[in-house]
Amino acid sequence: MSTTALRTKPRRSRLHRREHQVALAFIAIPLIGFLLFTLYPLLFSVYASFTAWNGLAAPKFNGIDNYIKMWNDPYFAKAMWNTFFMMIGIPIGLVLSMALALGLNRKMRGTTFFRTVYYVPVISSIAAIAILWQWAYNGDFGLVNQVLDLFGIQGPNWLANKDTVKPALIIMATWKGLGYSMLLYLAALQSVPRYLYEAAALDGAGTWAQFRHITLPMVRPVTFFLVVTSIIGGSQIFIEVNIMTPTGGPEFSSATIVWYIWRQAFNNLHMGYASSMSIVLGLIIFVITVIQFRLNRRNQFSID
Amino acid sequence: MSDPTGRGIHHSQHSQSGRNYVMKRSRFIAASVAMIATTGLLLSGCSAGAADTGEKQLTFMFRGGEDEKAAYTTAIKAFEEANDVKVKIISTTADDYATKLKAAIAGKQIPDVFYIAQGDIQAYVNNGVVLDITEYVEGSDTLDLDNIWEYGVDSYRFDGSLVGEGAIYALPKDVGPFSFGYNKTMFEAAGIPLPDVDVPLTLEEFVNISKQLTKDLNGDGELDQWGTGLNVQWSLQSFAWSNGADFLNEDRTKVTVDTPEFAEALQWFADLSNVEGVTPSTAQAQTLDTYQRWMSGQIAFFPVGPWDVSTYAELDFDWDLIPYPAGKTGESATWVGSLGIAVGSTTEDPELSAKLVEYLSADVTAQQTLVDAGVQIPNLKDMADTWVADSTTKPANKQEFLDIVNDYGRALPANNTYNAEWYDELFTNIQPVLDGKQTAADYLKEAQPKMQAFLDDANAQAGIG
Repeated sequence: MSTTALRTKPRRSRLHRREHQVALAFIAIPLIGFLLFTLYPLLFSVYASFTAWNGLAAPKFNGIDNYIKMWNDPYFAKAMWNTFFMMIGIPIGLVLSMALALGLNRKMRGTTFFRTVYYVPVISSIAAIAILWQWAYNGDFGLVNQVLDLFGIQGPNWLANKDTVKPALIIMATWKGLGYSMLLYLAALQSVPRYLYEAAALDGAGTWAQFRHITLPMVRPVTFFLVVTSIIGGSQIFIEVNIMTPTGGPEFSSATIVWYIWRQAFNNLHMGYASSMSIVLGLIIFVITVIQFRLNRRNQFSID
Repeated sequence: MSDPTGRGIHHSQHSQSGRNYVMKRSRFIAASVAMIATTGLLLSGCSAGAADTGEKQLTFMFRGGEDEKAAYTTAIKAFEEANDVKVKIISTTADDYATKLKAAIAGKQIPDVFYIAQGDIQAYVNNGVVLDITEYVEGSDTLDLDNIWEYGVDSYRFDGSLVGEGAIYALPKDVGPFSFGYNKTMFEAAGIPLPDVDVPLTLEEFVNISKQLTKDLNGDGELDQWGTGLNVQWSLQSFAWSNGADFLNEDRTKVTVDTPEFAEALQWFADLSNVEGVTPSTAQAQTLDTYQRWMSGQIAFFPVGPWDVSTYAELDFDWDLIPYPAGKTGESATWVGSLGIAVGSTTEDPELSAKLVEYLSADVTAQQTLVDAGVQIPNLKDMADTWVADSTTKPANKQEFLDIVNDYGRALPANNTYNAEWYDELFTNIQPVLDGKQTAADYLKEAQPKMQAFLDDANAQAGIG
């Protein structure tokens, strides 16, 4: 049927119209939400990024001044570097959570208990965890250094040393995210059909070959999902940084980009400049995600 | 294995078409209900605060702990009864306050009355966020302006170019003199004469006493008692000022940290750890450590603010306040913080809002509650006099707090400028100095131009200098 035929049809049935209304009503809810709470703020912050705005008075258009300032701002570069440096934790976390998932996927006693234990940090408030770890990292009394001391190692004052503050934050973030990745991997592992392994075993594949050629490819969608979300989340790391090193760490060494944006916007009255940094951060995340989707598509396969 | 995909295996997806029949009728209703609910939420969100019930309503936004909440509940109740008005209280956590207030301002929903940080006064006045309340508070019948600390009121005066002079834009919620304490029990045990409460120690005397008190008590070869342990961000000001140095020039247009006096003070501060060895392990100026150690009685000298008093009153040892040790000038110096309560410029009833500010700042019952809780010193001079005379509560030398407010306390350097970026820069890269890897003079020479650039930027934004 051609579209013109549809249009010239004199009158649609009542039922059809009703259906249509229902559909529109359902669509309207998320659509209004999106327009009002996502698109409008987004467009406004694009506009704000081209203004001198202190967050108190009306924004004043100033062209690309903010972007020029950003280009010349050593702290912006440093905060970007810090943020991406801390993403070293992502592959480490993935490997660890995969290993944990493999372990807890075995049939043995106490797996439920351990699954729960590893999931506890995930459901805990990040603020509470950050305070807890701040104590653990304390140079003199901290749990971390007390344990190191048992092995005769003199631990550093983690959060007050520019070389250890980033690793300290990475360790904490990895620990916090472990349970979530582990759970997703567990679910993925359990959906891998048994007979694949049986067939592989018949073909003479050892444990390692099975892992490499069956398990890893079968959980790839989960890995992809985790990598994408971790990178997006990692670019926005803020709360733990702000609580554990409220001044951005010694020599600005733990200041992340969102922390810097927040401080410029709310402490230093540079809302316009902060907006422009957020736009750049948003674009960077967008580009990285697009690249990841491209790469993933190349590696896709189906088992039909 | 040549084919990792697994040959001839089908992933079957069970379609659940049978479910589609359910809920046909109720769909429209469900959608409509959801729709109405959403719009309802949106509308109520927009109109909050504008509910017109004929009764006057003011909003008061603040942050604070339980003690503040308790104190203000009584003050607000008294205000509501006296003026036939309702006050809507918006309370946030300390961390969220700045963000939420800025969001309210950007959304043109400025609260009628709200806390304002001392350092924000200039920017908020310049941008028309807060109201000039001079005429109301000067002619007030509920409040005697002369009975409130000058420092507290002057902190919120601004004449268009200098903070501290001109019209009044807020009244103090509190004033926070940052004083210096010592562990009296430790001094007595070591047989060291107690420091004079009126004459400040010289820096040499301070180091000498600290050295005597830094020792290994249990003989395990490791120190377990120290002279002091100060955080550079909160204690450097005192030593710089008493050494004749300052952060800014008189009209706040030049950063003056590159003077020999300033370098000397910073170097001396760093040397406490690196040369004199009177603080717990080097490279560890974190307050967290020394704060805990002070409270467990291992530290001889430590800063004390009014907000510490309730906690320190519970300590196992006796302690008291003394003036900060003084550098070259021989005059003790330290800073006084403050938090203000201001009236939003868009309020419909400026007079009533200003009255609420007066109640919050100076209501006798509320002040008494806060003082009894040990979280602040009284805002009212006459109340402070009785408080000082009370010998049953710690510290014995409460007068020191008042002397700081009245006499030798100053505002933190960034509190009188448009923003704090220039000031924060000083501390951002200071760690190598504290670790003894860089001299103070070298560092300050490096830092001054960067700080100056930030200050110029701030002054330009404020339209000054």
